[in-house]
Amino acid sequence: MRRPPFLVVVLSLGATLFASLPIGYLAIRFIEGLDRALDEVFRLRTLELLGNTGLLVLSVSISAFVIGFSQAWLTTRSNIRFASVFAVLAALPLAIPSYVMALGYISVFPTFSGFFASWLVLTLATSPYVFLAVTASLVRVDTAGEEVARSLGFGRLSVLRKITWPQVAPAATASVLLVALYTLSEFGAIAILRYDTFTRAIFNAYRGSFDRTAAAALAIILLLITLLVIWLERRYRGANLLSSRALGKRVRVDLGRWSWVALPILVLVAALGVGLPIVSLTIWSIQGGSSINWGQLLEALWGSFSLAGLAGVIIGIFATAIALWAVRYRTKLGAFIETLAWATHALPAIVVGLALVFFGANITPWIYQTTWLLLIGYLILFLPNALAAISSPIARVPRSLEDLSQSLGTPANRTLFKIVLPIAMPGIIAGMALVSLTVLKELPATLLLRPTGVDTLATRLWTATETLSYSQAAPYAMLLIMLAGLPALALNAQARKAISEVREK
Amino acid sequence: MTQLFKKLRLKKTLAISVIALVGVSLSGCSPADQDLQDATLTIYSGRNENLVQQVLDDFTAETGIAVEVRYAGGAELAAQILEEGENSPADIFFSQDAGALGSLSKAGLLKAIPQELLDLVPSTYSAQDGNWVGISGRIRVLNYNPEKVTELPNSVFDLAGPKWQGRIGIAPTNASFQSFVTAMRVVEGEEKTLEWLKAMKTNAVLFEKNGAILEAVETGVVDAGLINHYYWYAKGKEVGMENMKSRITQFKDQDVGNLINVAGVGMVNDSASAKRFVEYLLSQSAQEYFASQTSEYPLIAGVPQVISLPALEEVPAPKIDLSDLDSLSETLDLIREAGLI
Repeated sequence: MRRPPFLVVVLSLGATLFASLPIGYLAIRFIEGLDRALDEVFRLRTLELLGNTGLLVLSVSISAFVIGFSQAWLTTRSNIRFASVFAVLAALPLAIPSYVMALGYISVFPTFSGFFASWLVLTLATSPYVFLAVTASLVRVDTAGEEVARSLGFGRLSVLRKITWPQVAPAATASVLLVALYTLSEFGAIAILRYDTFTRAIFNAYRGSFDRTAAAALAIILLLITLLVIWLERRYRGANLLSSRALGKRVRVDLGRWSWVALPILVLVAALGVGLPIVSLTIWSIQGGSSINWGQLLEALWGSFSLAGLAGVIIGIFATAIALWAVRYRTKLGAFIETLAWATHALPAIVVGLALVFFGANITPWIYQTTWLLLIGYLILFLPNALAAISSPIARVPRSLEDLSQSLGTPANRTLFKIVLPIAMPGIIAGMALVSLTVLKELPATLLLRPTGVDTLATRLWTATETLSYSQAAPYAMLLIMLAGLPALALNAQARKAISEVREK
Repeated sequence: MTQLFKKLRLKKTLAISVIALVGVSLSGCSPADQDLQDATLTIYSGRNENLVQQVLDDFTAETGIAVEVRYAGGAELAAQILEEGENSPADIFFSQDAGALGSLSKAGLLKAIPQELLDLVPSTYSAQDGNWVGISGRIRVLNYNPEKVTELPNSVFDLAGPKWQGRIGIAPTNASFQSFVTAMRVVEGEEKTLEWLKAMKTNAVLFEKNGAILEAVETGVVDAGLINHYYWYAKGKEVGMENMKSRITQFKDQDVGNLINVAGVGMVNDSASAKRFVEYLLSQSAQEYFASQTSEYPLIAGVPQVISLPALEEVPAPKIDLSDLDSLSETLDLIREAGLI
């Protein structure tokens, strides 16, 4: 069996160590108050939360998949009009923090709340993950196979199911997993829209009663649910297929009369996911008379920009190492490390934040309340976002090139840096961009772990909305969406680049 | 990258000018304060930056003691200090409500407030063990839409009646609501409280916090809501008092729905500058600030209130010692039993 390069092992083990911190913290809190913790677990309410959470995760995962997949297929493979405009609109909600979207809906429809509201907002907020992942895979699908199948008399739907789907499945299921875990760990939007899930109950245990044992008990159940979801995804993921690299000439499916169904649906999704939140923010900025504090605004902009940039690059590097180990060397340990990285993704940010407060203040005080500990927090929270984006591109680098390089006597490390990484680089950069824009929107862990006195656009937005100063909040929200919009648009452009390359041929 | 470095330089320039400014302001301090100026005072503030940053700036201007502030939710900060334990970098915890302070005091993480400072505030508004002191007062009020509510209820218990079904907004996960329910338990007993909470399960629309209730009353989603008084004034400041659609009022006859509560401060570290800070918050000028800028009740003698509500002594609230409101877990059990959280 081939052994992974030293650097890959070191980085992966480092990331694993960090990812296991929250789990260790939860174990300490759970065992410390074992009786109370068990009481908390075996309550009727736990069942109720289980039902609520399961319902929301399942429904958001399904709807985000259907919407994201349809958007991707329509904008890359059909002859729908304004395809590139719709592609941009499909990616944009990624730039809008889900709590901003929820506040936007609440301020237009004050009675908007409960399951349906949470489902809608989270679907809109997460479908871009599916859209981007599926788009990136779809443009690589070899259409020759589809044409052969068509000529053999298979209908469009069975071609989609039998030929196209297996080729996009790994990326698509990974993105759905991301959606499911996002929903499990979401707090802001869920709290605003008043739907009870495990994550909300965990936050409330801290907030209402400063009850760290009850919170830990609930968080451990959440962790078990996460493992179940990850196991399900593994079962149905399928193998990364190595498609032939030559991109054939692309035939766009003529929608015919169906475009009159597809077009309004795309417009509606864009209106709900991008239009309404932007309109809401515009109303905020018109109402009320807060003047903009430019000094604070610039400082927050710099804080967001520098943290998101740093986090993107660092987390991208760690994720690349883990993906290399898990996908290209396929050892049991590699797979375990990847699973562990995913497992902590569904933990609420407040749990990860408090775990790092506990270890940081008491064991490593020299990095406590510095940017480094905050970056470690982001690493634990968002490693999977990068893994989802980076795994497929790394898997797609043909093994034959690597074997060739090694048969010529090139050391493994050199092969890695000269052959594998350069080919996978667009995917790695996409992963970094995805992480950066997620970090931009993050709030609870940032509040707990930031160096004292450092502000980001998200923390400023929080300060303003807490005191109902929506006119003060508006510029921060706008700027946040614009800043997060840059990586979102870049991701979309990158995903679609292959299409234009084919057209130019 | 060059862009990055330019911004770094910009930051440095900013920092230098701040230091220079602080230097200039140092010249106006009393000699006693000058010994305290070496170390920075670290404050964890659960009170919002928009509400208290001015006071902290004034404190630095008056004493020359540099301040570092961490703003976050009060409960999150309390949890943070609990996790930090003895190694907490915090000197001061400035809290939105008494419950969070109580939890730190119970864990033994707060130092005793000097008696001469405790004496400045009526003893009902501070911890019995002297581990935290109240800084400003707030009262529970009924926020209502005058178009929909023509006959005002006499008691918070009236809201349990069938005619209020679906009309009232409450925030069961919010600390101020929970202390009110604790007070109800202490004054009226468990049974009556549970009955009221169960009625709320049918009558009330549930919100995350006071501000959301006020928004809902303003926009006509609910007809009335139970909130802290100053949210209404804050909203009035944001949109203009004349544009407020809702009103606030109080219940009658020592009703528990009129509970008086405080925002307070505790010392995680009893350094001289931490004591100086508590002293400053109880000074004439800081108390005047809370009276006029955050529309709260000042707690020291001789500072008049600004808002048009009854004076604190005349609020028809039950006479309860705030330290008696620390039985939070029993309250949460009741709220849970009623199915509100």
